Amino acid sequence: MRLFLAIKCLFRVLFDADFAEGVRRLTRDGETPAAVPGPSAPEKAAPPRPMAPVRSDAISLLAALQRDARFVDIVSESLEGYSDAQIGAAARDVLADCGKVLKRFFALQPVVDAAEGEALQVAADYDTGRFRLTGNVSQQLPAGGTVLHGGWEATQCELPAWTGSESAARVVAPAEVELS
Amino acid sequence: MSAKYALGIDLGTTNCVLAYAPLEAKAAEVTLLELPQLVAAGTIESRQSLPSFQYLAPEHEAASGALDMPWASERKFAVGEMARRQGAEMPERTVAAAKSWLCHSRADRRAPILPHGAPAEVNKVSPVAASQAYLQHLAACWNARFPDAPLAEQHVVLTVPASFDAAARELTREAALAAGLPADFVLLEEPQAAVYAWLAQRGDEWRQDLTAGNRLLVCDIGGGTTDLTLIDVAEENGELQLQRLAVGDHLLVGGDNMDLTLAHRVAGLFAEQGVKLNAWQSVSLWHSCRDAKEALLAPGAPDSHRISVLGRGSKVIGGTVSVDVPRELAAELLVGGFFPHCELDAKPQRQRASGFQEIGLPFESDVGITRHLAAFLSAHGGDDDAGAAFPTHVLFNGGVFKADRLRTIVLDAIRGWSPADDAVKELPGQRDLDYAVATGAAFYGWTKEHGGVRIRGGAPRSYYVGIETAGLAIPGMPRPLRALCVVPFGMEEGTSVEVPSGEIGLVLGEPAHFRFFSSAVRPDDRPGDVLPEIDDGELAETDSLETALQATGDEAETYVPVRFESRITELGVFELWCVSTTSDQRWKLEFSIRQDAQDEPS
Repeated sequence: MRLFLAIKCLFRVLFDADFAEGVRRLTRDGETPAAVPGPSAPEKAAPPRPMAPVRSDAISLLAALQRDARFVDIVSESLEGYSDAQIGAAARDVLADCGKVLKRFFALQPVVDAAEGEALQVAADYDTGRFRLTGNVSQQLPAGGTVLHGGWEATQCELPAWTGSESAARVVAPAEVELS
Repeated sequence: MSAKYALGIDLGTTNCVLAYAPLEAKAAEVTLLELPQLVAAGTIESRQSLPSFQYLAPEHEAASGALDMPWASERKFAVGEMARRQGAEMPERTVAAAKSWLCHSRADRRAPILPHGAPAEVNKVSPVAASQAYLQHLAACWNARFPDAPLAEQHVVLTVPASFDAAARELTREAALAAGLPADFVLLEEPQAAVYAWLAQRGDEWRQDLTAGNRLLVCDIGGGTTDLTLIDVAEENGELQLQRLAVGDHLLVGGDNMDLTLAHRVAGLFAEQGVKLNAWQSVSLWHSCRDAKEALLAPGAPDSHRISVLGRGSKVIGGTVSVDVPRELAAELLVGGFFPHCELDAKPQRQRASGFQEIGLPFESDVGITRHLAAFLSAHGGDDDAGAAFPTHVLFNGGVFKADRLRTIVLDAIRGWSPADDAVKELPGQRDLDYAVATGAAFYGWTKEHGGVRIRGGAPRSYYVGIETAGLAIPGMPRPLRALCVVPFGMEEGTSVEVPSGEIGLVLGEPAHFRFFSSAVRPDDRPGDVLPEIDDGELAETDSLETALQATGDEAETYVPVRFESRITELGVFELWCVSTTSDQRWKLEFSIRQDAQDEPS
């Protein structure tokens, strides 16, 4: 880690005049680092960002749904006073874009190939995580049944990587300000 | 060092794609490289394409590290999806369509001129530098994914539009080498790459799909450009051969123009409702219009398509505005505007540029693609045909053709022009309109190693050097120019030709400067042929060529008689040399891109 910091400092000293000034003060005889009167440079020299992501994957997913599909906006909005047509007009785009995000991140596929309504044989050693059985569950397995819902399974889990600051790790969408 | 992969890179006007195939595999297995890129500040996502946009951040944003990539910190710019999004609200900080600028010979493409019209506080970049940034990003993605097989050691094939002239190809090469591509990378024309992608997909079946005597039209309409190529199928020693017959002019009209046209009209519909869209909403409308175009030009399209634009603030439902776009309106704008019905002898309208025209991109003044197509087919008819080179098959490429009706319209137009009864057909097989160019390029790289059918092409156009006529000078009048053919159409890679000509005198110690022209419609000119005058309709001027002739010292003669020698290397690089006829000295001519731009009155 210190090697990395040293290399990083070398380049910053070469290319960043403010930073170089900060280092000069740090290394000057008789002046302790504590005496540096809070210029931004030593702050910037904080240890390099941890390699592990500091943001929860759940926040990354929410941020992507908001960024690409305005998902957080629409579910946070009160539906009072809007007609179904108004809600529908907005929801059409939001839903389509949410679908694109989920497809890109998870490539969701049904758990079973059979279409809903089709017959399916359930093996004796079925995985209770993959199948939920209803109806006449007392009978001996294997047994035949009808698919009510095909299930969903993520065939991948590719979430965006986060390189931002610790303080922004929980920000789902930044505030947007237009400078005048 | 030995290459492990063949890479195909599609450096597109709006999107870049990288495909690769392991060289050791017995059958070509082409895969698209996932391209990690910023989609928002501090957020990196992998996509299969890299939008060709570069966002130039203000200092405070760059300093925060928000634009850093795993391989680069303190980044002052972003390329890809985030840059594309930033373009919506900050066009003055977002470089777009750098590739279209690369072939714009009136601009200095090594000078920081992009974003075009940006204010002084933005650190502008040159078209070459922007292209380099995209390629660098692709290279970094590759090297991060395959650290044991660095890009600089692989077989790389980079695609360029068939209509790129020699100078634009040279600039592309310059950007690519600066981005770290290997020195022996190969340039391949995009329509040919699309054909290779088709060949890769069909396997040996293609020999049933095409027979000798067939003629294939590749109709490639990308985001910003239209590229036309004709390929003949011939038989030689019992084997089918593909021979590129002709390429079209560089047409700056593409799918984005269509989406914008529709968006402009739809914005008018919103205005009728009293809704004025802001810049952010306008871009979102533009993307919605792309979907609307595909929906309304599909078979069995609905009578209308609803376009909604969400509000800018957090009130999505309250801020959403919608209009219904009738199918007839879309058809009238897009089909009537871009694919109008026309006769075979239709000529695209060319507007003379006025002297006061702003030096922006020279967008086509006639956006009627069918008219350009008619002119292209007519120009390559030769003498034996019914006046035009009619294709028997068409291969479509580019996202525009996701709108099914546009394919039908192009096919119908050709049928209408053709006197023959046998109808022109679309090539069978699956279409991969977005990724075919990169995929085909990687496949091409793989076949270089393993063998496979090749498209024989050679130089896509003939090239000419302007020679001043001898004779009495008339004060105030430039001497008339004649054009000396130095590269014939179809000149093959890896060959050179000595151009027979009268002696041309160069003065030692002074830069020699030649005007340079190309033609896509004079396939019969041989090296040494002299055109008595320069016909603007047939010859297009490109960047001029120059060389500094160093005097070696003690020669008595300061005047050297030379002849031209032209070369096209195995890698497709064009070179023109001046060879002394009295000694063994020779000088290579270089494109003088800067010079031309300065000559241009601003």
